[in-house]
Amino acid sequence: MNTTFVGLKLKTPIILSAGPWSRDGLSIKRALEAGAGAVITESIVSDAIIDVRPRIAYNGSGAQNIRLYSDIQIEGWEREMEIAKSAGGIVIASISGHTPSELAYLASKMEHFGADAIEVSVSNPMGESLEILASDADQMYLIIKEVVEHVDIPVIVKLSQTATNIAKVAKAAKKAGAAGVSAINSIRCILGVDIETGEPMLPTYGGYSGAPIRPLGLAAVATVSQTVNIPICGIGGIENYKNALEYMMLGASAVQVGTAVMINGFEKIREIVEDLDRWADSKGIKSVAEIRGKALTHLKSFDEMKVEPVISHSNHEPCLEDCKACVKGCIYGAITRLESDVEIDKNRCTGCGVCIFVCPEKKLSLRW
Amino acid sequence: MNIRHIAKEAGVSVATVSRVLNHPESVAPATREKIERIMAETEYIPNWFARGLNFNKTATIGLVIPHILNSENMEIVKGAEDVAHQKDYTSLLCNVENDVAKEKKYIDNLIKRRVDGILLISSLLSEKDVLNIMDQNIPVVHIGEVTWENRLPVVSIDSKEGAYKATRHLLECEKKKIGVLYGTTPAVENSRKVKGYEKALKEAKIPVKDEYKIQVDDNIEGGYLGARKFLDMSEPPDAIFATSDLIAFGVMDAMKDNRISVPEQISVIGFGNIRMSNLVEPKLTTIEKPLHKMGVVGARLLFDLIEGKEDDGSGMKNIQLQSKLKIRKSCGHKERIGEMF
Repeated sequence: MNTTFVGLKLKTPIILSAGPWSRDGLSIKRALEAGAGAVITESIVSDAIIDVRPRIAYNGSGAQNIRLYSDIQIEGWEREMEIAKSAGGIVIASISGHTPSELAYLASKMEHFGADAIEVSVSNPMGESLEILASDADQMYLIIKEVVEHVDIPVIVKLSQTATNIAKVAKAAKKAGAAGVSAINSIRCILGVDIETGEPMLPTYGGYSGAPIRPLGLAAVATVSQTVNIPICGIGGIENYKNALEYMMLGASAVQVGTAVMINGFEKIREIVEDLDRWADSKGIKSVAEIRGKALTHLKSFDEMKVEPVISHSNHEPCLEDCKACVKGCIYGAITRLESDVEIDKNRCTGCGVCIFVCPEKKLSLRW
Repeated sequence: MNIRHIAKEAGVSVATVSRVLNHPESVAPATREKIERIMAETEYIPNWFARGLNFNKTATIGLVIPHILNSENMEIVKGAEDVAHQKDYTSLLCNVENDVAKEKKYIDNLIKRRVDGILLISSLLSEKDVLNIMDQNIPVVHIGEVTWENRLPVVSIDSKEGAYKATRHLLECEKKKIGVLYGTTPAVENSRKVKGYEKALKEAKIPVKDEYKIQVDDNIEGGYLGARKFLDMSEPPDAIFATSDLIAFGVMDAMKDNRISVPEQISVIGFGNIRMSNLVEPKLTTIEKPLHKMGVVGARLLFDLIEGKEDDGSGMKNIQLQSKLKIRKSCGHKERIGEMF
């Protein structure tokens, strides 16, 4: 399934995001060889510093990353880009900084080194103060305008969930000349605390990524999609082709995977790309454009919703022995456990829907 | 061992050896390998100065700094040297000691030695002097704010904005009597810092008192003496904004000698975030100046000019970097670190 994102023709919408997994030319080349539609470099800064150890923690679903940025100086990226692109493929340079001129300089250097586009990351939760640039629409406008003026390649702005109004920031980016936005960056987090020692899992705040942030990413993409006419790349917790499709159906033209590749290796890219192609082939779909935004028509505001008088119904298949999940989960006290089934009080049930999700046998449904 | 010895040993002309050094692709592979082997065996080191005569390159740059004992400068130099080293360049460090005559003499010397570029740090030179160097086709980049707008590329922060942030922080710590100790050099930045201080006070509707603005030498002694002057007043300040960390260290020293505790009785905020600011007790709250980064970026602009890459699509001439409030323990938040990271 192909796509076009910020004018780049991608053979698949699956892009490898900026991160430790795209830290140098060789890693990028490997990711491209594994089938990625494009690869985004780890974020490049003016003054690279040595990394801390350890820098990544993972709890089985979400990851905290305190790795700062690329530890390769901009000069070194000339060679890394040569290696990265030696077998062809699209490479997008992620740059990070604090002022318009600082970022414009990095962008123009990376353009000169062969980057196909620039992704401006001004929302990294690592090592920054609480007031990230990405939460300030006016500042964002000034930065992106300067970057856009200094390069001829498309400029993508990486948005953050940590903004009071993400649509406002996306509008500022568009007004400044950005060709697209990507959403969302990782989220300021502390993964957990060891209650025996009192130590947090990592010694400083980091960026939270992985499956748990997917619902936030989906909402951000849908919000931007419904408010700003700008190409969007969806990011956050994509673990399989279905997750990728969810983002596209909410308006994304392409998506980025990161944490899933970190945990499962570059082969994860191939798996997602191939599964997605199989799904698309089975439906006769050639391009993302055919499904993009398909879910948005079903996404309504509260006042537009038509409320049907549904209540819970059992399909009368036998319940699991001793299972009372729906009984416990019904805050309205509408469900009673019978011998091998449940009885639903039509007057008490308010059709909230919780029982549908807690039933391990999936035997309940809402109807009227 | 010189180039003639190598030529004799290899049985080729001096010109051939020279071509191996400068245009290796123009020499037949067999001959080239032979000459390279002899150079390796004899540990021959090309005369880079002579090389400069031929190529108009000496692979050296001049770093002109105001004062070697001010560690702000050393951190900038470290950044510049990191880039120069990567480029295989040698840096010549010129310590001006705030003396414009000495600075001019050093510049003359650097030009005579045919350096490929000059990085000026908070220069005392006039606009005319700087343009004069540039007119001799020597790439020049300046680190630190300047008053004039011309062809000179500049890497800087916004000192006024930084000072404004420092003063705002003191106001947020509920200080009402805020004094400033500002240095003499670099003059531009110091006067901008005072403007930033005044701006914050005016916004808070606190009158700017002239006696609360004292100019001192930009070093620890200056801070010490300035602080003593404040303490002698009938109504001394309850917070001091020092326009450099060194001045702030002097202030803290004076407070210690007078048994006045920081931050309980008086708040002190610095400017620069040099390494020592994290080691003094109490740890100094300050405005972080990205010193190393300024050196790195300055050297980068200089090498863009030296290598003729200034138009790599960038056309970037001036780069302004961000200063940041670094909250530690010298201003009032004894327990809370505030918005530190």
